Amino acid sequence: MITVALDSAGAAAAGEWIRAARPTHPALIDAHYDLATRYHLVNVPSAVWIDERGRIVRPAEVAFADNRFIAYTRFDMTRYLDALRDWADKGSASAHVRPPADRRERLALPTAAHARAATCFRLAEHLHAAGHPEAAVEFFKEAQRLEPESWCYKRQAWALTDAERFYSTTFQDEVKALGGRPYYARPDFPPDAHEERAEP
Amino acid sequence: MNTTVLTRNETVPVRAAAVEGEALWLTPEELARATEWEWTPDGLCRGALCVPVPPAAPWVREHGAGTRVDLVGLARHLGQPVAASPAHGVWAIGESHAALGDRLRSLEAPDFTLPDLDGRAWSLREFRGRKVFLLAWASW
Repeated sequence: MITVALDSAGAAAAGEWIRAARPTHPALIDAHYDLATRYHLVNVPSAVWIDERGRIVRPAEVAFADNRFIAYTRFDMTRYLDALRDWADKGSASAHVRPPADRRERLALPTAAHARAATCFRLAEHLHAAGHPEAAVEFFKEAQRLEPESWCYKRQAWALTDAERFYSTTFQDEVKALGGRPYYARPDFPPDAHEERAEP
Repeated sequence: MNTTVLTRNETVPVRAAAVEGEALWLTPEELARATEWEWTPDGLCRGALCVPVPPAAPWVREHGAGTRVDLVGLARHLGQPVAASPAHGVWAIGESHAALGDRLRSLEAPDFTLPDLDGRAWSLREFRGRKVFLLAWASW
């Protein structure tokens, strides 16, 4: 297991959580959202399964360790953890490893606008760290406009400043604005009659 | 003028030959430091990959002081996105969506190198031969 904290403030933001968890795995910090750009991650927590040959066997999907956020995931995470254990045990023979064509179909590939969003975000976080918070807001907003599906771009920007003052919004307002659409894309599992739960 | 070029994971201070609006004119030496593109007789080369420079490319100038390349024009020629704040002396150069998408479609897990709390750099490639559960999270 490798964990990566997406946090523009780096260790200052993620450090206390990592220390509290006393990890025995590599617990890394990505202050520039490099991983998010490479794997086109639009929310956290997101996990990717990678096999012994360095191949993606399950593209990025929501991955919580339990069901405390089931109102947001609308998915029983015990199914995900069972699948993860099955893959750890059986490897490519696991039923949760899909054929390559299926995996490619599930990839959320970046568009030109998404690539521009990542570049605006990179500039914004640099401007913020360099002491130009107002100039940073302009580029954070541009990243959010170019890729409105990315909760990373929104929530990171809000966390660095006063969201209501600079972005005229809050997390709860934005979740409400989803109007019933899911906060997380559903993990790639067959339907289960019991999984649909309360909306946020 | 001192300027900063932001690439994938690097923050590179460069000395601009000239700034004109968004255009950032660099000497070949500064261009190589900022982007790893080397100015050669075969065109611009990064490792074994060479890109020919079109005749009369508006992002190249030759004059008495030598060759100058506009990093923004070059990036756009290569399909790479640019975000710039000339007033703050900062240019961010991203990767093209085609390059990002092709890498994902190959299903080869994109490599990365990131530090832990102790400053040790870890790369995904170190884990070849083992299954990796790669989990991204955030404090926000």
